[in-house]
Amino acid sequence: MRLSELKPGQEATVTKIENTTTARRRIMDMGLVKGSKVKVICRAPLGDPLEIEIRDYKLSLRKKDAQNILVTEAE
Amino acid sequence: MKAKKVLGDDADIVLADARYEQISKIIEASLVKGERKRTVTDVLDKVFLNKYVGIPAFFALLWAVFQFTFEASAPFMGLIEMLFAWLSSLAAQIPNEVVASLLADGIFGGLGFILSFTAPIFFLFFALSLLEDSGYLARVAFVFDKLMFKLGLHGRSFIPMLLGFGCNLPAIMAARSIEGKKDRLITILTVPFMSCAARLPVYVLIAGAFFASHAATAVWSMYVIGIVVAILFALLLRKTILKGEPAPFIIELPTYKMPTLWGSVLHMWERGVSFLKKAGTYLLVGAIILWVLSVLPWGVEAGSGDSLIGLIGQTLQPLFGPLGFNWQIVSSLVFAFLAKELVVESLGVIYGVGGEASIQAALVASITPVSAFALMVFTLLYVPCLATVGVIKKETGSWKWTLFAVLSEMAIAYLGALLIVGLGGLLGFS
Repeated sequence: MRLSELKPGQEATVTKIENTTTARRRIMDMGLVKGSKVKVICRAPLGDPLEIEIRDYKLSLRKKDAQNILVTEAE
Repeated sequence: MKAKKVLGDDADIVLADARYEQISKIIEASLVKGERKRTVTDVLDKVFLNKYVGIPAFFALLWAVFQFTFEASAPFMGLIEMLFAWLSSLAAQIPNEVVASLLADGIFGGLGFILSFTAPIFFLFFALSLLEDSGYLARVAFVFDKLMFKLGLHGRSFIPMLLGFGCNLPAIMAARSIEGKKDRLITILTVPFMSCAARLPVYVLIAGAFFASHAATAVWSMYVIGIVVAILFALLLRKTILKGEPAPFIIELPTYKMPTLWGSVLHMWERGVSFLKKAGTYLLVGAIILWVLSVLPWGVEAGSGDSLIGLIGQTLQPLFGPLGFNWQIVSSLVFAFLAKELVVESLGVIYGVGGEASIQAALVASITPVSAFALMVFTLLYVPCLATVGVIKKETGSWKWTLFAVLSEMAIAYLGALLIVGLGGLLGFS
């Protein structure tokens, strides 16, 4: 499952980051790595980007970057 | 490459993974998490990021910001104008005619008029600092990122573009918050098409003279044309010399904080002073040059056809023939390099008439309505003002990009005005 497919309120664990170069670097710098727990908070009013919660802070990223982040949904 | 084979992934990924794994272990062993409560941030985000309320809430806040800026700065604007009028009247009494004219008309007259705009700029900076320190500005970028991305820009470009409607100068300075170099350049290059407050008096004068009952529509259309041109230019830049995608929108949305008065005042002061330094230097030099051009050769009536500025207007006029501009208008456009609203003042000087109604009458007698509309479009699109050019230089740190900005805006203004004249001809207006 991909991070972009999660609905607001759903929680998941990151399993793989497939993004390329610039975006991947940035994603990891922000602490979004394999094993991190994420929760989707909401989407922007126009539908993109999304806001997620990770490591007790709020991060935003575009759908197209979230598409390359694989997750498994938490129970 | 070798590392990739051994570790199964790029070295930086493996490193980051290992680092965060360690961090997680330490946190697990040492931190006892309390009950997670609903925070102020959760509640505020429910409103500001809400699908239906988010965007209207932003425009309401924006309205409040502009309202505050204008209301709070009005008395200060009056004070600054009074101060310079007083200085100017003092200088006029200097026995030496040349010095008196330079100080009274050139420096205090021109500068005072423009410096009165520092008051709203300081208050605008203050209001923005409040919003920025509260954590809200990051949300604005979040809310409008999709729209800006479609235009080849980044969410963070939205605030500068919007500020451009007030004054291009702080708008271009606000582009600093944009990380991607190309995103930032495109924003700086397109902000000048946002119709700033200084252009409004020019539209009002011309539209009032030529379009009577449709004056408001004509003025409104300037704002629309500016936005359309900005979008087209941004897309063009993205396709040609500044190729590539906007930077990824991977940013932290900070928790909301109560901004402190002192912090915001400090912020306002830093930016305001840096604005004054930049704008002030260029404006002073510009005011002196324009004064020289309008009074030389010494003894002619200031700004008349015999003065240098008149001669420049007459020399350049053939270029503007296709647009239907006479030399008086061309001269006033040269004046307006200092600040757009000077089109009105300088037309008065050049036509040798006072008062808005007489300037309007002189215009109606000399150009067609189609040319008048073309003049409005030209005023909208050509180089915003000397101070903005100065700030573009400071912010891009490059003469090449500054020259590019000036030349491209001139070309776009000319083509835009030509298009209006052409369309007007096709539709049978003259």
